[in-house]
Amino acid sequence: MSEPATGGAVVAGLITYQDAATVGSVARAVRAGLAAHFAGLPTRMLIVDAGSTDRTVALAREALGAEADVVEVATPRSAADLLEVPYHGVPGKARALHALLSTARDLTARACVVFDGGVRTVTPAWVASLAQPVVDGRVDYVAPFFARHPYEGALTKGVVYPLIRALYGVRLRQPAAAEFACSTALAGHWLRHDLWARHGARAGIDIWLAAAAAAGDFRVAEASLGVRAHHARGEEGLDLASTIAQVIGALFADVEKNARFWQRSQSRATERLGSPVVAVPTDPPAIDPDRLVEAFRLGYQELRDIWTWVLPPRTIVDLKKLLELSAREFRLDDELWARVIYDFAIGYRMRPVARDHLLRSLVPLYSGWLASYVGQVHDLGPEAADLRVEALAQAFENQKAYLIARWRWPERLRVG
Amino acid sequence: MPHPAWYQQAVIYELPVKSFFDSNGDGIGDFPGLIEKLDYIESLGVTCLWLLPFFPSPLRDDGYDIADYCQVHPSFGMLDDFRRFLEAAHDRGLRVVIELVLNHTSQEHEWFQRARRAPAGSSERNYYVWSDTDTAYPDARIIFVDSERSNWTWDPVAGAYFWHRFFHHQPDLNFDHPPVLEELLRVVDFWMAMGVDGFRLDAVAYLAEREGTACENLPQTHAILKTLRRHVDARWPDRMLLAEANHGPAEVCAYFGAGDECHMAYHFPLMPRVFMALHVEDRQPIVDILRATPPIPDSCQWALFLRNHDELTLEMVDDDERDYMYLAYSADPQARLNVGIRRRLAPLMGNNRRRLELLNSLLFSFPGTPIVYYGDEIGMGDNMYLGDRNGVRTPMQWTNDRNAGFSRADPPQLYSPVVMDPVYGYQAVNVETQERDGASLLQWMRNLIGLRKLFPAFGVGSLEFVDAANRKVLAYIRRDSHDTILCVANLSRSVQPVELDLRAFAGSVPIEMLGYTEFPAIGSQPYFLTLGPYGFYWFELQRRDV
Repeated sequence: MSEPATGGAVVAGLITYQDAATVGSVARAVRAGLAAHFAGLPTRMLIVDAGSTDRTVALAREALGAEADVVEVATPRSAADLLEVPYHGVPGKARALHALLSTARDLTARACVVFDGGVRTVTPAWVASLAQPVVDGRVDYVAPFFARHPYEGALTKGVVYPLIRALYGVRLRQPAAAEFACSTALAGHWLRHDLWARHGARAGIDIWLAAAAAAGDFRVAEASLGVRAHHARGEEGLDLASTIAQVIGALFADVEKNARFWQRSQSRATERLGSPVVAVPTDPPAIDPDRLVEAFRLGYQELRDIWTWVLPPRTIVDLKKLLELSAREFRLDDELWARVIYDFAIGYRMRPVARDHLLRSLVPLYSGWLASYVGQVHDLGPEAADLRVEALAQAFENQKAYLIARWRWPERLRVG
Repeated sequence: MPHPAWYQQAVIYELPVKSFFDSNGDGIGDFPGLIEKLDYIESLGVTCLWLLPFFPSPLRDDGYDIADYCQVHPSFGMLDDFRRFLEAAHDRGLRVVIELVLNHTSQEHEWFQRARRAPAGSSERNYYVWSDTDTAYPDARIIFVDSERSNWTWDPVAGAYFWHRFFHHQPDLNFDHPPVLEELLRVVDFWMAMGVDGFRLDAVAYLAEREGTACENLPQTHAILKTLRRHVDARWPDRMLLAEANHGPAEVCAYFGAGDECHMAYHFPLMPRVFMALHVEDRQPIVDILRATPPIPDSCQWALFLRNHDELTLEMVDDDERDYMYLAYSADPQARLNVGIRRRLAPLMGNNRRRLELLNSLLFSFPGTPIVYYGDEIGMGDNMYLGDRNGVRTPMQWTNDRNAGFSRADPPQLYSPVVMDPVYGYQAVNVETQERDGASLLQWMRNLIGLRKLFPAFGVGSLEFVDAANRKVLAYIRRDSHDTILCVANLSRSVQPVELDLRAFAGSVPIEMLGYTEFPAIGSQPYFLTLGPYGFYWFELQRRDV
């Protein structure tokens, strides 16, 4: 960690892909935010497009006008980018981010703030909320906190946030968000890191950046931004198994990579900036607990054999007890869920079964957890639902010693 | 040093290509076979492979008699097979170290064939060390006392004696003749350009000869190594040179120079003293040798091993200790060779699992980079009736099928019989069986290697012994800027109590590392522990008062 670059510009980057419907409003909001909040400082706008075939780039330029501070950053692309099914919707996301951060570093930016060109709800205030703490030199990394319906972002709430918090000691509730702000020192740290070429970067890059900031001992904070709404890029239809394989696979890959760090890390302060916005989208995701519980039961029947490679008998027995419960009664204990995730992380490392099979076998367990979670928060307000997630994260912290013990001296539950 | 170099954090796996896996059914292991087994090697968690010589050779000294430095012996494959292996190893994050035999070649090397026919005094002739008599350098000892009578051998073609420190078919190169080093630097460039990560420099103490000396560890030898190091540093960053110099720690330290000779060197005297300490159930032989080990430059590292492809050498112990070791570990005279014992680790330990675990815990926690000899991770045995050191170079035991799963050849076609005795034979000791046994030595070794890699302090941390009245218990601290690790080992076959003076760590909480189990905090009183037979603990000392 180093002192903030005090002389550089505030750099705002837009990462775009097929965002003709939204990029104009995003660009104008960011421009307005820079003008309103950083009027006395030099500013630069970067457009990093990942290969749009519509008028995204032209519309972004049009929205930003012919100002001299607009830079279009070329993104090296690979043919594979366009063949991949992108979780994030932006092919070659990691390469685009790399190009953007490289430019920001080369400009010795005072702060670099990144936006997704496909978000419909960006406001000028977002720029200030994310970038100001970095410009002030208070922190090196600001992640967003978006107001969500309790059902929204369940994978993040149920796995990503608790795991990152327990292992890396930082309380970033949405560590996989596309928007963030960072210092030049952190951008340089990321660019020196080996995470860019890792397998799974398209789904994992945002999580890896947050984890690398924490593991690099950079100061982190979370800024409340309000509601985030995104226009459709076509990835919304990605099935749950693929999403889990990509996101949890990326998360576990990071856990494996940073084992030396998280086994020594302690919980530390994560500044929460701004007032939580309690208004949530009025159109919550449709979730049917009966179907989730049925998926859990079916998974228990069909996939228990795979689970026995990674889950100890005690856990299997505890899961079996849940089979008798109705959707209304269905409750998956937080500490049990934490141990399940930790045992899968160890299984991912030890590879007793193929990693993709292992990750996909997590789907019914996740369905069970989601049914349990929905059953507990369905009539709670956002704040109470957040407290429920905090309790889950605390359980992950409580069970961290369980993970460390088994990580250090793995038990082979089944062999041959 | 801000960041430990890769070789300071490595776990090295030593193997002869011929012994690992035979892909084409000719009875000899080869590079395509080694590629097939890289998944296994990766699964061990080791980070670096050290390959024994695989070059064209008449194989009268198991390949250390090299006939062509820049080719692959046809029995092991083609040069392209080596390239494919190297790429596959690197894809798995494995480094590869190969042999560079500087001191001598085979008699069949074209340099020697040319030299013996060249006129006396010519450049070609001067590639080797010649004499009209066999009386020069009389103070140089004979190393292979069981097979050689002199360091000079008459060559009827040249009409002169040639100098050799090892077998009479291995003439020593003459480094007083500058073209020799130039040739060898070209060899270095050849392999490094291909991507090898380092060289083990064989018999590095004997490069120069001077009258009136033992012809070992001479200043001229160090000058040659400094030239080699400069050459490597200038062209091939991030590579490593490992010195094989079987001498006392103070003499071996000279091979590090001021960080400008070899990056690594074997700690030969430590190994016999570990075996000695275990047998006499007293830590003193280990403490003495480690205390007598001078500090080394920050960029350097000791290479540690329990066993390797040679005999357990007893050159570095005194006469009484040697007699004791012979009695303790080689009651059968057949096990003795030269000045050592030609046995693998498991037979030396009487196949006692607790002893095997204890010795490996020492190997993996002493200051240095550990080297695991192929097969020792499954407790392979040996065959001391095979002659020379061939008994510890038998085929890797993969399964309980024919030829231990090593080869599809007819058994008589194998380069060496597989071990077949009832205790260590391939039917009882093999990878397949141990893969299926969650409590096997193989699985235990994997865990230990994984644990070691989590703590860089084991690689580069300082070493401090902890006082304890009970000399059957060895306790020491390994420490770097991140971690403080307390290692405690019971060298005896019975339960032992020990009181440790840990006042310097008062306030810290020992966390037993294998189970992440918290022990009572350290206070101002002696810290009391009990250890089972051959038991050991590794504790992470966590400070709770900061």
